[in-house]
Amino acid sequence: MNAATETIGRDLGRILQALAGLMFVSVLVPVVWGEYYAIPPLLVSGAIPFVLGYGMTSVFREAEYPGKLHGMIIAALGWLCVGVFGSTPFLLIAWTVELAPAVLNTPAQTSTLAAFTSPLNALFESMSGFTGTGLTMTDNEEVLPRTLQWWRTFSEWIGGVGVIVLTTAILARPGSGSLTLYESEARSEKIHPSIVSTVRSIWWIFILFTFISILILWLAGMPIWGAINHGMTGLSTGGFSITDNSIATYDSVAIDFALIPVMILGSIAFPVHYLMLRGELRNLYADLQTRWIFGFFSAGSILLTAMVYFNGTYDSAFTAFRYGLFQYVSAMSCTGFQTAVDSTNVALGRWPAEAQLTVTFGMVVGAAAGSTVGGIKLIRLATLLKGIRHRISDVFYPESAVRRLKIDGRRLTQEEASREFEEAAIIAFLWFVFLGLGMFVFLTILPAGEYTLENIVFEVASAQGNVGLSAGITGPSMPTLGKVMFLFNMWIGRLEIIPVLVLLRTLFSRGGLYQ
Amino acid sequence: MNVRDLPVVELVFESGAKDRVFDGLLLVGPLVIVAIAVLGRSAITIGIAAAYLGAFVLHVLQNALLGRP
Repeated sequence: MNAATETIGRDLGRILQALAGLMFVSVLVPVVWGEYYAIPPLLVSGAIPFVLGYGMTSVFREAEYPGKLHGMIIAALGWLCVGVFGSTPFLLIAWTVELAPAVLNTPAQTSTLAAFTSPLNALFESMSGFTGTGLTMTDNEEVLPRTLQWWRTFSEWIGGVGVIVLTTAILARPGSGSLTLYESEARSEKIHPSIVSTVRSIWWIFILFTFISILILWLAGMPIWGAINHGMTGLSTGGFSITDNSIATYDSVAIDFALIPVMILGSIAFPVHYLMLRGELRNLYADLQTRWIFGFFSAGSILLTAMVYFNGTYDSAFTAFRYGLFQYVSAMSCTGFQTAVDSTNVALGRWPAEAQLTVTFGMVVGAAAGSTVGGIKLIRLATLLKGIRHRISDVFYPESAVRRLKIDGRRLTQEEASREFEEAAIIAFLWFVFLGLGMFVFLTILPAGEYTLENIVFEVASAQGNVGLSAGITGPSMPTLGKVMFLFNMWIGRLEIIPVLVLLRTLFSRGGLYQ
Repeated sequence: MNVRDLPVVELVFESGAKDRVFDGLLLVGPLVIVAIAVLGRSAITIGIAAAYLGAFVLHVLQNALLGRP
């Protein structure tokens, strides 16, 4: 076995152990809610990654620190493994209820839970949870056991911050290896010089904000179980709900508006939160990404409100504003909570095409890098826009002119500007390539005439941006190829594509398929 | 025995915010949520939840005004 495999194996083992810990902690939920039949499957689900992880960590204990290549492979494989092993609670609880062993006193099977007897559906739900996407294979979340409602929420809450951030915080390991992994998980900014201190700060901020979010929602009128689950998934901008029609179930203006600050909290980068909590509130406007968040959220919401109001989708300007604001913030923060659903109002899939495409724009861009959101991220959009303007204006200056590109208060040299512009352009390009691939697959597999092109663009952008808003395409009855495509979209979306491509190139290269 | 020496409290003080108010809110948060879950919605629990949020907001504003944590 070579050194690279040992390094990757040791760190994957750590990630699996951390995942096992999450499952063991979750046993508290079936105990509290009296769902005793869910305890054995949950323990078995935790035991599998624990034994595997413990074995890998022990065998490869002496492995070297990961380099950049290893870090990317570990991040890509780690997230895939977490998705796969995180699916076992869905699978095993669904099969426990299906088989109904007399000793466990299981409840009656429901069609919603029965969907998870399919390993692909369980994997989809798990991957959607950990990547913070929120697209679901459930028909009716309300009838799920509380244990699974919690596991969906918990997976999104953990995934929002990052599996590797969690692993680094728990199994603290100072040194360059942790920094490499941290950066491979679509993060770059540090709060402190030490990576362990950085991830610990991220965690206390996240936990404190979770309590704040839960209490805001509860005060707005949400029952406490709903407030706990929606507070966690709202802050982590995941968007899983425990109700059948997402937030529309409550049909409450107060709850709709209470969720806006929760989603905004999740959209702002952790280093900025840290500074603001220490009293530097000027970061609300001084930090480029935070300033743009408020700018884009305001402009997008107003535009969307105007579109749905003047198209006659809603009767009153206030109703149009209520749904326009919520859907746009939910989309651009990549949360995916939905209030525009069929039972209480006009479904998103039947909004005017331009309104759906405006929401799609928000999903593709996302909010701040270094937060819990998906999408291309605002800093890349800023780099692309400022970079393009810089390149164009080059023509008007003499060749001897020394010019600096200024982004977010930093004055970049020509070389730095080229590197950052190139990176932003590559990720944006790859983003649209895989968006196109997803659209191609769905145009091929979906029955002709059932969904419009804007529905398909919307749904694929939602999966790849880790958003979770749905035009109605995603569900247990979706074709298998569609589920597999979305699994891939969610995976690359969470890791910003490059680590997954590095992994695939390495695998193909080893297999002799790529030369 | 010092309160800081208790297992969870020690962990929060070591890895937490290094700010007494935020550390306190981190420690009290789960208790507030459990109290709400057990006691339900009443004037007392609403008052506790509002006080928690108020303490957070006021402390952030205080930090901003004083220019230090």
